[in-house]
Amino acid sequence: MDFFADILMGFQTTFQPTNLVYCLVGCLIGTLIGVLPGIGPTGAVSILLPVTFKISPVTSIILLSGIYYGAMYGGSITSILVNVPGEAASVVTCLDGYQMARQGRAGPALGIAAFGSYIAGTLSVIALMFLSYPLSKLALAFGPPEYTALIILGITILTYLAQKSMIKAMMVAAFGFLLAYVGIDMLTGKARFTFGISNLMDGVGILPIAMGLFGVTEVLENLGPSEELSLSRTKLGHLLPSRQDWKDSWKPITRGSFIGFIIGIIPGGNATLASFVSYATEKRCSKHPEKFGHGAIEGVAGPESSNNSAFAGGLVPLFALGIPTSVATALLFAALMMHGVQPGPFLIPEHPDIFWGLVASMYLGNIMLLIINLPLIAMWVQVLRIPQRILIPLILFFCIVGAYADNNSFFDVGVMMFFGVLGYLLKRFDYEPAPLILAFVLGPILEKSMRQSLKISGGDFGIFFSHPISVILLGLAALVLLSNLFFKKQTGLADEKV
Amino acid sequence: MKRLGSEVVGSLFWLAVGVFFAVGGIMLKPGTLRNPGPGLLPLIMSLLLISFSLFVLAKGLIGPEGILKGIQWKSQTVVVASVFLYGLLLNLLGFLLSTFALMFVLYGLFFGGKNKWPRVFFCATATALAGWLVFSVALKVPFPKGWLIVAGR
Repeated sequence: MDFFADILMGFQTTFQPTNLVYCLVGCLIGTLIGVLPGIGPTGAVSILLPVTFKISPVTSIILLSGIYYGAMYGGSITSILVNVPGEAASVVTCLDGYQMARQGRAGPALGIAAFGSYIAGTLSVIALMFLSYPLSKLALAFGPPEYTALIILGITILTYLAQKSMIKAMMVAAFGFLLAYVGIDMLTGKARFTFGISNLMDGVGILPIAMGLFGVTEVLENLGPSEELSLSRTKLGHLLPSRQDWKDSWKPITRGSFIGFIIGIIPGGNATLASFVSYATEKRCSKHPEKFGHGAIEGVAGPESSNNSAFAGGLVPLFALGIPTSVATALLFAALMMHGVQPGPFLIPEHPDIFWGLVASMYLGNIMLLIINLPLIAMWVQVLRIPQRILIPLILFFCIVGAYADNNSFFDVGVMMFFGVLGYLLKRFDYEPAPLILAFVLGPILEKSMRQSLKISGGDFGIFFSHPISVILLGLAALVLLSNLFFKKQTGLADEKV
Repeated sequence: MKRLGSEVVGSLFWLAVGVFFAVGGIMLKPGTLRNPGPGLLPLIMSLLLISFSLFVLAKGLIGPEGILKGIQWKSQTVVVASVFLYGLLLNLLGFLLSTFALMFVLYGLFFGGKNKWPRVFFCATATALAGWLVFSVALKVPFPKGWLIVAGR
């Protein structure tokens, strides 16, 4: 009966007042960030990472996760009411959600988005709960060659999903890996690329990089007098979807939950991709595909469910294998590492409170979000009226203070500004910043496992092709690479940013 | 003269980065495959970066050139410069005054219309005060007190 004891412990952890409060705060911030266009959950999590130093690892993971899945709820509000995605995973929601709002059905659209998110969120936590446990046992079969192969596969898929050019995404990823090798070499103690700067001995910090790429870059992109958002003037009406709405939506919600969860597990998959795949699936499954784009409720229900379950799906490889496979989980990984918690197959046995506490908090958080989003919808509509001209300077201010407070030094602020400018230029030159952060986080793991593999095999690269799991993973990576060469891929799938 | 396009400029930048890390990797000693050293992974990654950028460079030189999206330098430079100036001012004026100055510049870039400056002044003051209360008083982030303030006492 270990299983029930674990769940019970999870709820005990979550019901501690501190954790409850932080769970609520995370959900509130998440919804806020989701509602506000211009900054996404990744930026918010980056800015809030320094805050988490002062709280326990469980509490910080509960907080940061709340921001992520909370943003998935909030994003739909902006998409439906303003036709501007609050964050990237709500882009497709604009297509039918805004049309519904124009037809005076904003209420049911918001309602089904929130209920769909709730159902998907809960289903996916259940799946996460049942999967991570056996998977982490399987993870013991993972040695250095398997880890190497898994990381290569993850980066390959992430760059494949890049919106623009795969080769450019790979260049950014390679740079991310290189950045990870700045600092003391863990195996030999040799200083690498530090130029005698003592701040670089521990390597470049993930905080200033993430805040620069996802916070400052947004600021630099949105400089100058901005247009005000025009809220659609329709009445919200009844928030509760009608019986017919439910009849139309229950299948999309179920399918969306499933699709999102699976895509979340796939290395490189993310919530944005999940929402696109779900939309395409619903259009294909529908008896009235012509209604899509003209206010079909299925086009809201499916994607909004799938982007929620994708987050929980992404937690599977993080907790089972200790490998972040998306930008979202990369930042959670960084948060755990900063607390000295080493994610990996031993995380659940060694820190059961973290995993089960998070699981329990997600049950609760989804209920909180349902309440935050539906009865309090009027408040979020007001939030949409906060002008960009106040918001953007404030974001920069928070970034500066956050980067400074990390080590109480202005060096990190300088690093952050460097990456902010770099991120801005990357976007202008049609590169994507997302692969950089994932490669940066995976860099040390890749290096360790690759060097260990080579030592084990005595310098023979054949080791990667003699272990069945790594052969499969590398084979998949090769397949992805080849398919990029031979098929013209659909663009616009996965820009995890914002 | 043909103008350099975005692909060429971008790939030349990455080429330089790649060469830089490759040289560094070699100097760090990549070791042997049997006994990989600290320079191995940097070398592999920089070689990948170099070959990718050569590919993009070649494509940019031969094929149709990508058009550089409008890069706005002016306000971006002001923002970046003012942040670094803020770093200098922080030691001199302390958190409250320098934050006010920074926010004054930032809001100044964004606000428009009539009565711009009074509103900018108000918002900058409010942000500096609120920031000081939250970060310095409540969260106890040890910001520099500022020489002028300390000396003035």
